[in-house]
Amino acid sequence: MLSSLPEAVAILLSLEGLLVLVVGTILGIILGAMPGIGSTVAVAIVLPFTLTMSQAPAIILLLAVYAGSVYGGSIAAILINTPGTPQSAATCLDGYPMAQRGEAGLALGWATVASVIGGLVSAVVLIFAAPQLAAFALEFGPIETFALILLGMTCIVSVSTGSVVKGLMAGMIGIFLSTVGGDPILGEMRFTFGNWQLFAGFNLLAVVIGVFALSEVFMRASTKQSTVSELVSFNGIVLPSLSMWKGRFKNLAKSVAIGNVIGVLPGTGAATAAFVSYAEGRRSSPNGDGFGKGEPDGIVASEAANNAVTGGALVPTMALGIPGDAITAVMLATLTLHGITPGPKLVEDNPVLIATIFSGFFVINLLLLPLGMLLSRVAAPILRVREAFMMTAIVILCAVGIYFVRGNVFDLLVMGGAGFIGFLLRRQGFPMAPLVIGMVLGPTLELTLRQGLILTDGNFLAFFTGHPIALVLGITAVAALLLPVVRSLQKRGTA
Amino acid sequence: MQRFVSERILVQVGLLIVAVALFASTFGQSFSSSDLAQSPMFFPRIILVLWIGLGVISLIQSFKSDEKTRQIASWPRIGIVLVAALIYTNLIGSEGFFIPSVGFAVISLLAFGIRNPILVLLFAVLVPGSLVLLFNHTLGMPLPTSRFSYFF
Amino acid sequence: MLKIFSIAAAAAVVAASSVSAEGFPERPINLIAPFNAGGGTDLLLRGLAPHFAEAIGSDAYVSNMAGGSGTVAASALQAQRPDGYQLAYMSVTVSTIQPQIKNVPYGIDSWTPICSIAASPTMLFVSGDSPYQNMDDVVAAVKAAPGELVYGSSGPGAITHLTMVSAFAGLGIIDDMKHLPFQGSGPAIKELTAGNIQFFGDTELLVERGDFRPLVVFNDARVENFPNVPTATEVGIEAPLNELYLWGGLFAPAGLEPEVTAKLEAACAAAVVSEGFQEFAANSGTVVNYRGAEEFNDFYRAQYDANAALIEAAGL
Repeated sequence: MLSSLPEAVAILLSLEGLLVLVVGTILGIILGAMPGIGSTVAVAIVLPFTLTMSQAPAIILLLAVYAGSVYGGSIAAILINTPGTPQSAATCLDGYPMAQRGEAGLALGWATVASVIGGLVSAVVLIFAAPQLAAFALEFGPIETFALILLGMTCIVSVSTGSVVKGLMAGMIGIFLSTVGGDPILGEMRFTFGNWQLFAGFNLLAVVIGVFALSEVFMRASTKQSTVSELVSFNGIVLPSLSMWKGRFKNLAKSVAIGNVIGVLPGTGAATAAFVSYAEGRRSSPNGDGFGKGEPDGIVASEAANNAVTGGALVPTMALGIPGDAITAVMLATLTLHGITPGPKLVEDNPVLIATIFSGFFVINLLLLPLGMLLSRVAAPILRVREAFMMTAIVILCAVGIYFVRGNVFDLLVMGGAGFIGFLLRRQGFPMAPLVIGMVLGPTLELTLRQGLILTDGNFLAFFTGHPIALVLGITAVAALLLPVVRSLQKRGTA
Repeated sequence: MQRFVSERILVQVGLLIVAVALFASTFGQSFSSSDLAQSPMFFPRIILVLWIGLGVISLIQSFKSDEKTRQIASWPRIGIVLVAALIYTNLIGSEGFFIPSVGFAVISLLAFGIRNPILVLLFAVLVPGSLVLLFNHTLGMPLPTSRFSYFF
Repeated sequence: MLKIFSIAAAAAVVAASSVSAEGFPERPINLIAPFNAGGGTDLLLRGLAPHFAEAIGSDAYVSNMAGGSGTVAASALQAQRPDGYQLAYMSVTVSTIQPQIKNVPYGIDSWTPICSIAASPTMLFVSGDSPYQNMDDVVAAVKAAPGELVYGSSGPGAITHLTMVSAFAGLGIIDDMKHLPFQGSGPAIKELTAGNIQFFGDTELLVERGDFRPLVVFNDARVENFPNVPTATEVGIEAPLNELYLWGGLFAPAGLEPEVTAKLEAACAAAVVSEGFQEFAANSGTVVNYRGAEEFNDFYRAQYDANAALIEAAGL
């Protein structure tokens, strides 16, 4: 494949290649930055265009729009506290407090650099180690995945700003919401109360947009209006200087690694990576105590990880023909349409195409930096409109975004209801990030738990005795839960 | 007395009632699997029990603490915005995207204190209008249309 | 002002309700994919839409309404007015399986079938390094170690699940096997490669995606690309479990005017034979299988009844 790189670069540098790269990335950033509109809608918008293009540009366009929209999502998350996707929910936790302090530009700078580095490293890993990582993914059966998700669930404690009890409760509400609809093993309906709209359960995005974006509008309507017309002072991205990175490299490296590894495992995804990385950052970073109050390390942990997932998710897609997430599934389908059969022989049979995709992915991540800075400068005046216009536009855009997720007006009701309930809960100090974690991880937790019980004939202990990876992950999860308790007891003891 | 009927307590009691009601509902249905761990209700029941337990702890904590819920600055404003948004999300299905959006925008802008009628109308028509133009007539992925015409 | 508006509105309502078959179609036609954008069904419809639009002389656009294994879109369409402007591409599972296992608001009589478009037989396969060379090996292995071997599916009630049920219920060994459902074919295939499940079933297209060995095909004759793979009948699976096709076609709500049905059917026929769609089908591995409205109606109803036996065997 490496020998095909010159040909691949020639394709990328052709007029069509460059056009697709730049236009796709810009479009993705803009769509992602709109509150309520995330990657799903962005991809749906460009999909019809890709059908008329040749294979390599079609895939590059999808990748550019996807990577751009994930990055763009962090802009909305930091500036107005309205993540467009679950994976930028963790970015809000520190990004928005920084923006409130008047450091919006710098917060975005951290997010941009972390995103770009996460993406670039994952592109390099993808180019050089895809087969090895794919073999690693095969080690992760249902039981190992269960242990990993369990570890992911412990993040709820780390992202519970304020009360841990309330955070855990919000997490349980999130998991419960994810159980509504069809049972994953038997297909029987649960908690639908005869309503066929609920057969498909509550849509994750409708709930996320409701409890974050819509409830944010309600929160602002309920508090005293700022006399200053500006929402947040922002004049464009300010890149952190090299000296500011001092002591943060370890956190960055760890976050990129977490994103890569989790991205490789099918069925986990960017939101899981962002939260796990955030929790790990909080535990191990020297600045861990400041997490949740506007600590750059929190932004770095979440953004580096969720961007590194993109490259990771391409590994099983390209090496095994198994899509790593929803977006890689679209890419595989697009390949099929062009007469290419995804599968283990994909790389062997289409070296130029794969080299183009991989190097295109690298270039897209490079483009995020200049395009992000340019667009943020252009967009800065938009943020100077009065709060009234911004809040009204957010509600309307959320409606558009959620409608296009499944083409179902029922999801709009879910979004409205989630917004109202999110508003009530947020007023009482319930953090919303745990609810999102619960809803993201809940389905996989239940599915893999019950799959594991089928495989072990109902013996839960056998999850850990026969599966060393699961054992290590399980012990880590228990330790992650108990350590904060032990530490606080120690503190009390010495005080 | 005050601390027993505060918004804080009401919300928490509400959450607890919902959880208990859902838990009770898991016993009403019959499912085909006799195996306990493979019952569709196995997992939800664990979660609901945890929810109820945490809810009780949280309620007790609330009784003990004197923390106050943040004051609502303007009841009319939050009331209007909240009700308008809920009605808006309900109406899109039957009345299409454009008309409810214009209505919501007018109400929301007025509630947030914009008093210039030209500005309100301009925004209320142009923002939804340009979205309809973009999605329905340029990209070919239409938003819901009204009962009057498939153009908006 | 208000009065003028209400009169105009009333006029518009009258105009909209007096749909005449004569002028059909006078506005764009919505082709609903009951699954996500970018999935197989969605892409098939997107491949068909431009040729369909050309044939019927109006715009046609694809919209996605995913959820509940396709039942959400079907349930929503069933409640629409049968005016011919809303059509859904429904597969065998959405139209004949789901309504018999879930309490959905639609059933056998809820539709006006327009045309079938694609159909491919399903296959049971094992991973390339599996010790099983044929179904006899499988039966012997299951009997030697009851309750040990595991078959996967992309979800309960999915075509992948029914393929497994047809094979193992047809051979009388299903009670000695374990079923491990996944969320979609991708994760299941990963576990087949990793060895956590031993059997999986899907269409020919998926078999070609990896190093897999098909053992049986649920078709009335051997298939061209796999001449050595026996049919289900050959390995001793009896009707009605011996044939299973993943088919799909366009449906409108019941009660569509015959003139409108005829126009849609003609457009569908023209679109399917169009050069553009044929090329698309060849590229994407779609097995085109066109049936007109009447023929498709008979086929659909026969399938609905035949699949009841399958559902019974699956214990759904």
